[in-house]
Amino acid sequence: VTPPPDDPKGTSADAAGSIRDRLKSPAPSSEASASGDTSRSGVSDASFQQTDSAGLREAHGRSAQQESTHAGFEPMEVGPEPLTPREAKVAELKVAALFLLSALSVVAFCVWYVVGDHRFGTPGNPYFNPLLGLFMALALGGVGAGAVVWAKTLMVDEEAVQERHPFGSPSEERAATAEALKAGLGDSGLKRRPLLIGTLALGAGSLALLPLPFVFGMGRFQHKERELATTAWREGMRLYRNNGTPVRQGDLQIGAVESVFPDVELPQLRADSPVLLIRMRPEELQVQEGREDWSIDGHVAYSSICSHLGCPVKLYEQQTHHLLCPCHQSTFDASRGADVIFGPAARPLPQLAISVDDEGYFVAQGDFSEPIGPSYWERDSR
Amino acid sequence: MTLVSKATDGTGRWVDDRLGSSNFVRRSLNKVFPDHWSFMLGEIALYTFIILLLSGTYLAFFYTPSLGEVVYDGSYTPLVGVAMSEAYHSTLDISFDVRGGLLMRQIHHWAALLFMVAIVVHIMRVFFTGAFRKPRELNWVIGVLLLIFGLLEGVAGYSLPDDLLSGTGLRIIWSIMLAVPVVGTWAAFLIFGAEYPGTDILDRLYIAHVFVVPLILLGLITLHMMMIWYQKHTQFAGPGRTETNVVGSRLYPAYAAKAGGFFFLVFGVIALLGGLAQINPVWLYGPYNPSQVFAGAQPDWYIGFLDGSTRLMPGWEISALGYTVPINVIIPTVVLPGLMFTAMLVYPWLEQRFTGDREYHNLLDRPRDAPVRTAIGAMALSFYMVLWISGGNDVIASVFRVSVNNTTYAGRVLLLLLPPLVYVITKRVCLALQHSDDELAHHGIESGTIRRLPSGEFVEETVPLPMPYRAALTRVEPSEVGHGQKVLASGAPDQDVPHGSGHEDSQYLETRRSRSKGFFRPKGVSTTPTRTEPSPAELEGSGQQ
Repeated sequence: VTPPPDDPKGTSADAAGSIRDRLKSPAPSSEASASGDTSRSGVSDASFQQTDSAGLREAHGRSAQQESTHAGFEPMEVGPEPLTPREAKVAELKVAALFLLSALSVVAFCVWYVVGDHRFGTPGNPYFNPLLGLFMALALGGVGAGAVVWAKTLMVDEEAVQERHPFGSPSEERAATAEALKAGLGDSGLKRRPLLIGTLALGAGSLALLPLPFVFGMGRFQHKERELATTAWREGMRLYRNNGTPVRQGDLQIGAVESVFPDVELPQLRADSPVLLIRMRPEELQVQEGREDWSIDGHVAYSSICSHLGCPVKLYEQQTHHLLCPCHQSTFDASRGADVIFGPAARPLPQLAISVDDEGYFVAQGDFSEPIGPSYWERDSR
Repeated sequence: MTLVSKATDGTGRWVDDRLGSSNFVRRSLNKVFPDHWSFMLGEIALYTFIILLLSGTYLAFFYTPSLGEVVYDGSYTPLVGVAMSEAYHSTLDISFDVRGGLLMRQIHHWAALLFMVAIVVHIMRVFFTGAFRKPRELNWVIGVLLLIFGLLEGVAGYSLPDDLLSGTGLRIIWSIMLAVPVVGTWAAFLIFGAEYPGTDILDRLYIAHVFVVPLILLGLITLHMMMIWYQKHTQFAGPGRTETNVVGSRLYPAYAAKAGGFFFLVFGVIALLGGLAQINPVWLYGPYNPSQVFAGAQPDWYIGFLDGSTRLMPGWEISALGYTVPINVIIPTVVLPGLMFTAMLVYPWLEQRFTGDREYHNLLDRPRDAPVRTAIGAMALSFYMVLWISGGNDVIASVFRVSVNNTTYAGRVLLLLLPPLVYVITKRVCLALQHSDDELAHHGIESGTIRRLPSGEFVEETVPLPMPYRAALTRVEPSEVGHGQKVLASGAPDQDVPHGSGHEDSQYLETRRSRSKGFFRPKGVSTTPTRTEPSPAELEGSGQQ
């Protein structure tokens, strides 16, 4: 019979003192307290065995014979040989030195934190962060290494055995719980009132819909399709460089490439609209059908937003006219309508129709004829 | 000593009077933990998570999650006068103007990388040793969820600085959302607030990164720990170790000292990395600009496999009935990880179904003990590694001066060919290791001494394997206890079959058992020591006759 968990007998016997002390004067198993994981399992302190020496085993009241009953194995001697007093002293000094290192490093950390040059450009700056990290590492590592060395050298290297409590409850227990659940359901009267069941399901079910408007309200969908399908380019808009100057015909050498933008400030519009203006020899540019007047004198403009996942396609190879996206290596041929020649992209880069205005500046003929950037479900449904 | 007595007598009594905690505390102190180096992997994950909470909280005191445009005026001179978001500005301030801020930022990033490493390696340990088996399936599921939410947390944090690299990553995330059929554009607008770059995304990522996901992680970790505590840790086979006990050291004091010391060691290593090893130098990348990017851009390592799968995928797209399905995007970034994580989540039940093994397991398998499982794991790992390495194929191409196109083609071929090959090889290696184990366990170590039998036959004397090793190899498990038999080992008697499972039909069991044999053991090799050759003692006896 297991004594109640708050039985003072078992607790007083082993609450204090070192492991060795506890093991040398163990509570007789008959009066050990219920100290298993659950009171049901009845695992007691007596179920701990120490196998680091035969003597301790004897002290624990268990012979080698008893312990070897499991699976017919002899108990294993574990742990290193006990330390000599001299070795123990050395180990103790080692641990103390590590703890001391910690304390010194904390001081060094604090001093360096206050006096070090931490601002960029100051002469001491390159050393500020490395030394700060080093002192912090030593401070933390000293305590950590000290504790580990201490545990491994000076603490008792025991091999304790604890019985596992059985998983799963006894079948009576399960039956009783199921019974209690059923009884509660009966007490609630729900079984006899089908109207309540139906309306409860309806009411609680509708509650699940309650958060939906809030969730839906997180996005602004009013012009979703239009925003996705259009960019900031409009008819007659000049092609501006990143520094705000417009590009004039003749500015680009043959083989040159320029990132250009419409003259807008809104981040959304700017994110959509980067264009790559490329100049090649007119005879090298294979003009696509229906795009005869989209390019001028070997100048051709493509959206630089990758048709795969929206990275900027920026790497242009002069000789081959290949455009490479650095994110996933989709490669497009700028001389043939930016058609895909390699990689995971499925569509050519959309081409921006350009012309030259009266003052000789490049202008867009209008917006792109198709959505730029990555594909999406409604892309072709307009 | 007086201090201890004071604590137990004074404070201890005060607490115990109110909570009655003595019994619980003593039971906890006496709890036995088995020891093995591989059990520390989960500890590293836990410790790095604590470090992430500490360092992340400090960073949050200085970070501003806003896309509002400001002009840089901090101490990092190369960027003075450049227009940038407040988020990027505050990240630069943490790096250059907050004392110790850079150390904290780098500690946070390194800890995040190691957190994911520790989780992945810990999951591998649990998988290859069969620690996920009954009764620990739920903890396996929680572990996989921790992996998934860890990934999400990492991605959200990676996007916060709003530098060129993270902005590009965010645009890729936006594009992947758009690619999802039917609901994609709705989901993308909902989460980003409006068309990319959106107005709200940074605030939402921030609250997800510092509150929502950490809370989920914390809850899952707590559950994970509670289950480990309640179910007790698994252990490897060895002398005196059975399915029904735990052999190791008690929590207090040695185990606690080791584990506590280990926390500080992990923290120390991460502090050293944070001080000496530069990571994610966002000031070199500059603020995000949708028209700019740099070559060789790489995500954090744990996203690398998705980057790789995206690169290897051919450019296929379905366009029909006026709708577009970009399968070149959704297969590698949505379908593939979905399948991978689902397979991981359900694996314990798949194995149970396949082997018919519904018994409790507290003793761990060595990987060779379950050749099919180990082969499946190695196969999955090789698949993952091909994807992961392909995520850096542009770097490989430029370092080794090979065509980037060829690295992609090689990746596609390897992705299909390598996993089956690895499966076959791993299984054969496991079986070969089992054979050599059987030799050792049953015949002992070759001694080099040749003895002639009276019949004229020559035999080599063998020395029996020392007990601890033999115990680890043969895994004889007690059958008198109610649970934990080695199930369906060859030659196992019928009573080993779980009763009341509804599958007593003998034909069914026979099929199950033969499948199970293939899963765990090669045919014709027994788990129990047999004496097919004369032992030294018998030889001694026969020599005297």
